[in-house]
Amino acid sequence: MFGKGLLKGLSITIKRLYGPNLTEYYPEVKPVLPSRTRSSMVLEPEKCISCGLCVNACPNQVISLSSEKDEKNKKVLKTYQMNMGRCLLCGLCTEACPTKALKLCQVYENAVYHREELIWDMIARSKPANMSSGKVE
Amino acid sequence: MTIEGTQEYAINMGPQHPSTHGVFRMVVHLDGEVVTGVEPKIGYLHRGLEKMAESRTYTQFIPYTDRLDYLAGPHNSLGYVQAVEKMMGIELPERAEYLRVIFAELGRIASHLVMIASGSLDICGWTPWSYCFRDRERILDLFEMTAGNRMTPNYFRIGGVSHDVPDEFMPALKSFLDDMPEMLEEYQGIFFGNEIVQSRMKSVGILPKELAENLLITGANLRASGVQYDVRKAEPYSIYDRFDFNVPVLYGCDTYDRHFIRLLEIQESSKILRQALKDIPDGPVMAKVPKVIKPPAGKVYHRVENPKGEMGWYIVSNGTTKPARVRIRTGAFVNVQMLSAIIAGWKIQDLVTIFASMDLVLGEVDK
Amino acid sequence: MDALNNVFVNIALAIRGLFVDSHSFGADLTINVIVFIMLFLIMVVAALFLSLVERKFAHWVSQRSGPNRLGPHGWFQFIADAVKMLGKEDITPVNVDKFLFKMAPMMLVGVTLMVFGIIPFGEGMVAIDLDLGIFYFFAVSSLSTLAMLMAGWASNNKYSLLGGLRAVAQMISYEIPLLLSLLGVVMITQTFNLSSIIEAQKTIPFIFLQPLAFAIYLIAGIAETNRAPFDHIQGEQEIVAGPFTEYSGLRWGLFMLAEYGNVVATSAIAVTMFLGGWYGPEFLPGWLWFILKIWLVIFLMMWVRWTFVRMRIDHLMHFAWKILLPLTLVNIFLTGLGIYVYDLLIARIGG
Repeated sequence: MFGKGLLKGLSITIKRLYGPNLTEYYPEVKPVLPSRTRSSMVLEPEKCISCGLCVNACPNQVISLSSEKDEKNKKVLKTYQMNMGRCLLCGLCTEACPTKALKLCQVYENAVYHREELIWDMIARSKPANMSSGKVE
Repeated sequence: MTIEGTQEYAINMGPQHPSTHGVFRMVVHLDGEVVTGVEPKIGYLHRGLEKMAESRTYTQFIPYTDRLDYLAGPHNSLGYVQAVEKMMGIELPERAEYLRVIFAELGRIASHLVMIASGSLDICGWTPWSYCFRDRERILDLFEMTAGNRMTPNYFRIGGVSHDVPDEFMPALKSFLDDMPEMLEEYQGIFFGNEIVQSRMKSVGILPKELAENLLITGANLRASGVQYDVRKAEPYSIYDRFDFNVPVLYGCDTYDRHFIRLLEIQESSKILRQALKDIPDGPVMAKVPKVIKPPAGKVYHRVENPKGEMGWYIVSNGTTKPARVRIRTGAFVNVQMLSAIIAGWKIQDLVTIFASMDLVLGEVDK
Repeated sequence: MDALNNVFVNIALAIRGLFVDSHSFGADLTINVIVFIMLFLIMVVAALFLSLVERKFAHWVSQRSGPNRLGPHGWFQFIADAVKMLGKEDITPVNVDKFLFKMAPMMLVGVTLMVFGIIPFGEGMVAIDLDLGIFYFFAVSSLSTLAMLMAGWASNNKYSLLGGLRAVAQMISYEIPLLLSLLGVVMITQTFNLSSIIEAQKTIPFIFLQPLAFAIYLIAGIAETNRAPFDHIQGEQEIVAGPFTEYSGLRWGLFMLAEYGNVVATSAIAVTMFLGGWYGPEFLPGWLWFILKIWLVIFLMMWVRWTFVRMRIDHLMHFAWKILLPLTLVNIFLTGLGIYVYDLLIARIGG
């Protein structure tokens, strides 16, 4: 009969109308992301050996670091900056790090108001006073 | 001086419009409600990916390939990494091949779901759109738990894949496949079985078989016009020759068939996924490749079956770590010419429906 | 229950009693002004609240929760919408036809208010008890076509022109089935007066006697109020917003008000003619039954909107002229036959 498809559509809609909701209420309930999600990076300066592999691995020249030699002629990290405005969140830098000093973290609320705040000073962000909420592996 | 009779006028459906899928501009010549001609104007999303490839190494270019057909996730990098492996002669471990097939087919299902959703949204069916996107969320969750990102997972590498799947992956994929028949029933009931949708889409926008072959249309648009051609069966790549699946072909050549064939392709992809899930072996996920990838000097051309059409990768290497030239033949770019070829004589509302059935993604058209 | 039933009638009588002569010109003027203000407020609040209900309904169908920030579960959202609409800048593009541009929303709201004047909300609660009731409804609601055309033409925009012309084509075509489907009810009751039609449904509501006419009236009503599946003029996906593209701020708010007011008016007429008006079991007052029945018809209209897709414009015309119109003629024929047989049987059995 003509109209059978229309009635079936109506029955599907009314079933969903009285069914449960699937959405989360965001600011009250914050989701916990899986452990491999690439939402931002975090650095542990003690483990970094300033090898520069992450700088070369990045497709977009996001990372810039500088180091100095101390009395035992070993490299010590001085500054480490990431320009998040250019970052693709591809994760190649964290895969390239040999000592696992640069790691992924699941902090996803990174929006800022000014473009200058997009240049992250990773050493300052690693201090416990500056760490924002979220898990760090 | 007055002009007698009616007058043709030209409307600009500009880059910002609620129903062009992305930033696509067309100048539409109208006679009342009847369209007499269309001039598509593309290039609003051109990012210069092929030029950027010449200053990045082979591994650094993989995140950029994800941004070509951004709805199909990992499927775009499949062609690229296989082309490079062809040049270098690398053999992959079995587990890596199976994982690649699983992720490529999941990307295909995700892309077809968006096509059906936006096809329904263009004729003001808001509910099928939300049902398709609800189901697409489960696929994106699978991508996120394995690879890291939802839409641009950056998962494939030259020589294999980057990580092995976590423990939650296989049960989640299994439950997704078990829920699939019920989801397809729902789409059939609310969208494809609806008489108004059928009256809107059947016999509209006929693409005859000879015209499709002459214009080099590929992908599901070609198969809805009666030509049985799928790169996975014509020139099997990866391990597709081990799976038992059909290539659906429909003979209606109209808009309804172009939408319906994607539903059938989702069914076939789920068949492949079930077989891959059963047969996947254990083992390493990355072959032994040198740390610095330097293919020998030469050229290679490799084709894969993208959800939007046939995608061809032409890579020229001059022996260094960065490619000399990467040329991408995308299915959507060639499919754009279908619009001006078949549009004459239809109305504005048919223009929107026909455009939705062509399944363009501007990331692929403009690169 | 009688007290609750007649509460508004008693209030009107009390106000009349404040005057020396309770039927003087002054008393009538006061009552009419108060009734006018009340109808306007009903229309505004109903329209705002309906837009929120529509959004909630749409989201519940797709398993979401709709606006949920303001008020308990988001039910105060319409206050924010009203305040936002009043605060927007009023942009009048340079090359428009100023008089028509400003006249169109006012005309549309005026037409809707005029229809509200004849609806009987309860027993004795009708603003103007016209003997021409339903005839007046048709005459006045045809004017809304003119308002849409004015909006489309005056906007100096190709998309608006397309939308305005589509509006004319659609609304003219669907008025004829709308009119003819109500003719069956008029044939049974032999009067145009809305209160008499309701009183004639004391024993049985007319939906059981005229099911085909109810279905056709509902479909034509959805087409007249420009809702999906017949909402081409606000094609959104093709012609952005049709004749309303160039309107912003309060002028656009008036258009939305008129659209939802039309929805309420059409449902009210459907309830009056087919569902028995304010009759109902005794545990609720009459005007409350009327409101509940309007809710039922609006629920049906929203259910249809969020399930179906839009029809193409020539299929729409085809549907109106070649399918709905013959069906209404069949309905009239069957009604006439039914009345003849009924009279014959009564004459035989009665005596």
